[in-house]
Amino acid sequence: MALYGQKQFHIVNHSVPREDGFDKVTGRATYAADIKYPNMIYAAMLRLVGVASAKVTKIDTSKALKLAGVLAVFTADSFPKMKSWARYFYITDTVRYVGDVIAIIAAETYAIAEEAKKLIHVTYEELPAVFDIREAMKEGAHPVHEEYPDNIFTDSIYTLRKGDTEKGFEQADLIIERTYETQYAEHAYIEPEAVVASEDSSNGEMTIHASAQNPFFTRRYVADILQIPLNRVHIIQETLGGSFGGKEEGVGLLAARAAFVCHVLHRPVKMVYTREESILESSKRHPFLLTYRAGVKKDGRIVAWEATQIGNSGAYNNQTQFLNWRACAHCAGAYDIPNIKSKTFGVFTNNVHSGAFRGYSSPQLLFAQEQFIEEIAEELGMEPLKLRLINCLRDGSTVATGAKVSEVLLPDIIEYTAKQTDYTKKYEQNKTQSGRIRKGIGMAISHRGCGYGAESPDAAGAFLIVNEDASVLLHSGIAENGQGLKTVYCQIAAEALGVPYENIRFFGTDTHRIPDCGMTVASRGTVMGSQAVKKAGEKLNLILREHACTLGFFDSGKGGAPNDRIAQDLVLREGHIFDPSYHEYQVPLADVTNIALWKGLNMAAYEWHVPDPCIQEHDTQQGRAFPTYSYTCVVAELEVDTGTGEVTLKNVHSSHDVGTAINPALIKGQIYGGIVMGWGYASMEEVVLKNGIVGSRNLDEYLIPTAMDMPNMKVSIFECDDNSGTYGAKSVGEPAIECVAAAIANALYNATGRRIRCNPAGLENVLIGRKLW
Amino acid sequence: MVDEKDYLVANNLNEAKVLMHEHCGNIHVLAGGTDLMVALREGKRSGRDTTYLLDISNIQELKAIERKKVTISDEDCNTNEDYIRIGAMVTFDEAAHSGLLLKTAGALCEAAKSVGAQQIRNVATIGGNVCNAAVAADSLSALTILDAKVVLEDLRGERVLSIGEFITGPGKTAINEDELLTEIRFKPLEDYYSAFVKLGRRKALAISRMNVAAALAFEDEKITEARISPGCVFATPRRVQSAEKILIGESPSEELFMEAGEEVSKEMVRITGRRWSTDYKYPALSAVTFKALAIAYNQAKSDT
Amino acid sequence: MQKLKFVLNGKCVEVEVEGCARLIDVIRENLGLTGTKEGCGIGECGACTVIIDGDAVDSCLYPALRAQGKNVTTIEGLAKDGRLSALQQAVLDHHALQCGFCTPGFIMSATALLNKNPKPSREEIKNAIAGNLCRCTGYEQMIEAVLDASGQTEIDNDSA
Repeated sequence: MALYGQKQFHIVNHSVPREDGFDKVTGRATYAADIKYPNMIYAAMLRLVGVASAKVTKIDTSKALKLAGVLAVFTADSFPKMKSWARYFYITDTVRYVGDVIAIIAAETYAIAEEAKKLIHVTYEELPAVFDIREAMKEGAHPVHEEYPDNIFTDSIYTLRKGDTEKGFEQADLIIERTYETQYAEHAYIEPEAVVASEDSSNGEMTIHASAQNPFFTRRYVADILQIPLNRVHIIQETLGGSFGGKEEGVGLLAARAAFVCHVLHRPVKMVYTREESILESSKRHPFLLTYRAGVKKDGRIVAWEATQIGNSGAYNNQTQFLNWRACAHCAGAYDIPNIKSKTFGVFTNNVHSGAFRGYSSPQLLFAQEQFIEEIAEELGMEPLKLRLINCLRDGSTVATGAKVSEVLLPDIIEYTAKQTDYTKKYEQNKTQSGRIRKGIGMAISHRGCGYGAESPDAAGAFLIVNEDASVLLHSGIAENGQGLKTVYCQIAAEALGVPYENIRFFGTDTHRIPDCGMTVASRGTVMGSQAVKKAGEKLNLILREHACTLGFFDSGKGGAPNDRIAQDLVLREGHIFDPSYHEYQVPLADVTNIALWKGLNMAAYEWHVPDPCIQEHDTQQGRAFPTYSYTCVVAELEVDTGTGEVTLKNVHSSHDVGTAINPALIKGQIYGGIVMGWGYASMEEVVLKNGIVGSRNLDEYLIPTAMDMPNMKVSIFECDDNSGTYGAKSVGEPAIECVAAAIANALYNATGRRIRCNPAGLENVLIGRKLW
Repeated sequence: MVDEKDYLVANNLNEAKVLMHEHCGNIHVLAGGTDLMVALREGKRSGRDTTYLLDISNIQELKAIERKKVTISDEDCNTNEDYIRIGAMVTFDEAAHSGLLLKTAGALCEAAKSVGAQQIRNVATIGGNVCNAAVAADSLSALTILDAKVVLEDLRGERVLSIGEFITGPGKTAINEDELLTEIRFKPLEDYYSAFVKLGRRKALAISRMNVAAALAFEDEKITEARISPGCVFATPRRVQSAEKILIGESPSEELFMEAGEEVSKEMVRITGRRWSTDYKYPALSAVTFKALAIAYNQAKSDT
Repeated sequence: MQKLKFVLNGKCVEVEVEGCARLIDVIRENLGLTGTKEGCGIGECGACTVIIDGDAVDSCLYPALRAQGKNVTTIEGLAKDGRLSALQQAVLDHHALQCGFCTPGFIMSATALLNKNPKPSREEIKNAIAGNLCRCTGYEQMIEAVLDASGQTEIDNDSA
């Protein structure tokens, strides 16, 4: 298998229209901030302005409380608990970063709540603070948390040992070491976080409409603050205006705050972040300090690899350990290297906290690794393409965790993309150019473990209900984030169940209707999360065929067949049941379901899927980390104005092995979006922090690419016969971004001869090699 | 109540002047509103204290771009001069596409095109941009090479100030509390070729990191007139005459433009001193100046 | 409180608003049309774009009282009798949306463009929607949708 277009499916593998498309183009799709209740009030959050580390000693709320329309002001004292079930605080009296909330004001209108904030007087003592990875690790540095006196987040330390690096380095003809650094980046989903809480006084049930990436995760926060069982908390995920990993902890905290205010004041409560608050309190992409050391033979074989990967966790944490586990498994890039040693850990600082962000740790690691590969090639005097092809993963290779991989399209993808872009010729030509405007071409490759892997069980459930008119309701605990998950799930359900795509409705994720299926993260939605949808569909397909037999639709004589048929003789496809031997007799599914309902027959199926376990040895991280990997090659072409440092991204070719393209148009959307997001990360995006104070407060200061910034984009979709994922699908959401910044950094070097080892490549960094903020 | 404001609408200039006079000091003019509405939003936190907003968008007199003779009264004589007059409420979109401005003030059209995004250009006005006097305002350098003047009016009459006189510092102007900026006027630069180059961190919706407006006139392959004004560089907009002098009388060449560009950077250091950002701004400003001069010259070449 | 009367999606509406009210709040809160979204509040993201007398504007920066007597169109005003506009249909056909939060604003900007310029070039489209930030799509399919809605099709030479 190679380029898309050779597989045979009825509904998957086709670009069907989006399930939620009509609602979204007409403006009728409801987002959390659109929800309104009668008698609803608003709550606003107070933070210390311009202080990243402080002990609040007094909050004088008397003036605020006198303002007409103010209903209550809550401080740490008036909250039942400050600290959430995770490490973040609903409210606190010890500020560890600028986003920490120290008071919550409830009022009749949003404007009054905001006005009241100005009337609150806060007294505090400023505390020492640390902001930078190096600084935080120095002896005697201020500990951000008492539990971690040296600021090293011990739960997030992962060490990997493959082979024997000492021996490896002894064999090497050349040893090279480089350090790279990446920045804080903001998700910048266009929808700011919003929740609406309302309590049913007749039964004490708390309902939250939330812009939550993971409704079950949000539910945990609400049950925690109210100290009520999970079955009294009802989270309804409203249409989500983008998340990319960002609407996890922040929305959980917000939901809990709203729930508490709602519970105390007996009124529905709306809380919506301003964009400034969203940037202040939501998690960020982890900055990484990355050092790699490689031992290489003259012929280009990499024989030893050492990695030190340190993440800046910021002030709080609950994802660095998972992110670092993944970083550890991907510590040596998409290369087959016999001897590897790595250490990965997180460090606390008084900055905004880091969390999940599309790609998790990979865009950071690849920014370094894929430049490092080219630096090695240069030292060897070898073309980087050749070095990649000598060392890259292929059938039978072992990845860093020691597991063997098969069905590896990577070498084909690299060669195809290089050829399509005329990479080698351009790469050589660009080295000798002169003049003000310089061209550059750069490549990056990656492998990405699909789904959770050994991080945690990649289990999920699905529930399908067929109604008497043969329309279908699909329930899943994996949530639509905007990526098109509903569409893909409807396709998978339709394929497995044998009904037209249009018959299926996946209306959204609601914690009262399906078990917790884990989070919609790690690009696991399609590859693993949907396995249960397929299973439930297949199960229900059989059930409905059985009903058709039970109800006499396939008795002898029907359709000209001499004998009675059993379910196994029949096919249910595209909403019709038939015997392939007498296929002209087709029973519409609705005819069967219409009778089945009144006969009391079951027309629903629930399935739970747990993939084969992935197990690694803890101390060495050797073992099977992931069921399979997706493979990527990106080539970027750009122009640099050597007078100003201005970079124009001209062309990007992004090639991906997606296993099976469930919906090629959605995949292209993911890849286009990943390219542009990656371009932003490479060139203009940085949450500028000075002493923990966020300098990029709104979207005029935190810049993301506009339509004028996008390059010409080419997408190549490869498919293969690996069947680990649902219908053979692999991850694409995160692979779409992870190589982009690395390819751009390499293109910049090709253009200017200057390595950008500290992302992003803004004007000043390109021209004079350092940032000026 | 919170943020209580009275929204007043003036339907002609005189009405506006009367309202400005009546509520002097307690009224804020609402031009395009793209900056004021942001400030009001911020004000939810910091407090903004005028009671009245004056919407002047219905005043037709302020919406024209026209060519007209203006009588200039000097100490002892009256002279009639040919001016281009841009009403204060002309939007950036209108300016960007004005045939008259394209002919007489190309750099200003380019600057107008570079402002924000379409939605902003549809409402934001040149008058508002000048009155806000932001260091990074895109129109200022282009207006400076036009030697533009602003007309300020109140019930007593009008006064005319140069852009340099009007803008007294970052965000500060010489406007009086009851005055309205009604028009911007300049002598048409018909024999000039002008250019505006903006350096931003992205290709749209960008605030200028710096920008340069430049205009050149030629005769017999020689530069006869030159005007250069960098934006975001000085506290108030100004031309860099030392760089202009380098060009005048010379034959255009890359080397010459580079030399002029370098001089603009030197002038920046002379006036603002060396700063943390100078390592970048010095070479970049030279390069942007060079680009602007080269574009202007290329227009001349393609014209002949 | 002051009286505001204007035409919204073809119907005359009248509301009482505060002097410094923003048009977006009047549309969303007073008039209940929530298709117009707020993403930044400072005219940077364009999610709140509406069309006023033919021009695309950010309704978060537009004083409500300035809309007095004007003709305002929001995303809810495009489909007629349940039939999508050509652009809305093209957006669906081209998968030119993902999370959908920027979609109404983008559609309004592109609608204003097509009304003024029925056959825009790729560059003109990019320029017209540059004030509509989208974090999901990378803009490509949006541009294809606008081209399609204007009766121009590009040859897709991608390998998919």
